[in-house]
Amino acid sequence: MLEDALDHLVRGIVDHPDDVQVDLRTLRRGQVLEVRVHPDDLGKVIGRAGRTAKALRTVMSALGGRGIRVDLVDVDEVR
Amino acid sequence: MTDEPQDAPVETAEPIADPPVGRRPGREGGAHGESDVGLLEREGDIAADYLEGLLDIADLDGDIDIDVEGNRAAVSIVGADLSSLVGAEGATLEALQELTRLAVHRETGVRSRLMLDIGGHRARRREELTILGTRTAEAVRDSTEPVRLDPMTPFERKVVHDAVSAVDGVLSESEGEEPQRRIVVRPA
Repeated sequence: MLEDALDHLVRGIVDHPDDVQVDLRTLRRGQVLEVRVHPDDLGKVIGRAGRTAKALRTVMSALGGRGIRVDLVDVDEVR
Repeated sequence: MTDEPQDAPVETAEPIADPPVGRRPGREGGAHGESDVGLLEREGDIAADYLEGLLDIADLDGDIDIDVEGNRAAVSIVGADLSSLVGAEGATLEALQELTRLAVHRETGVRSRLMLDIGGHRARRREELTILGTRTAEAVRDSTEPVRLDPMTPFERKVVHDAVSAVDGVLSESEGEEPQRRIVVRPA
């Protein structure tokens, strides 16, 4: 449910909704929602001074409890 | 007073929509110039779709009311238990409003000033703050001593400014920077 909810919230605000991918990973320290978007949309999901990312995290915490993390994954990032 | 909630979701360098030529609306006039009921109704519809999708996925029961209040779209989610979507001091509500405005902006290309309420939270807060504003104004009028209120959100300050302005002999202004911005009520 959580990844679907975040997927919906992000798809609604980006220019390339089909490029949105959300994965829920369970790590030892808790659950992480990894969000991937089109590179042109990265600024959009971060927002001015990180406001949009913060809003997404706030809503996901409300739905999934405080333990849940939201990571915006930069596709250009070398991992 | 200029304490309209100005927390426009995306601050871009260039204006998204030019105001009508020859009429330059003040900030109170709205981000997209003269209010356009058709546009505001469309904003409400887009917002309702976005929020309904979230309610479905999260398996939350809620009905969505759409209205136009003043020159902005007003969307309310009403239902039995929506407190999780309101959050402590309305933090989740503010976050959802922000995201909903962005979703509307994506569809319309116009920055939205849509107001979201959930479970009547804003309506209740508005009542409390109207009483606070009126009582503070009357106290300042009678004592002639200025009173500084606690920091509030732009929405909350707007409600207090409106209540103070209904009382003769006092005025209100805001001072400080967000999120510590607060109202001072003084004798006029």
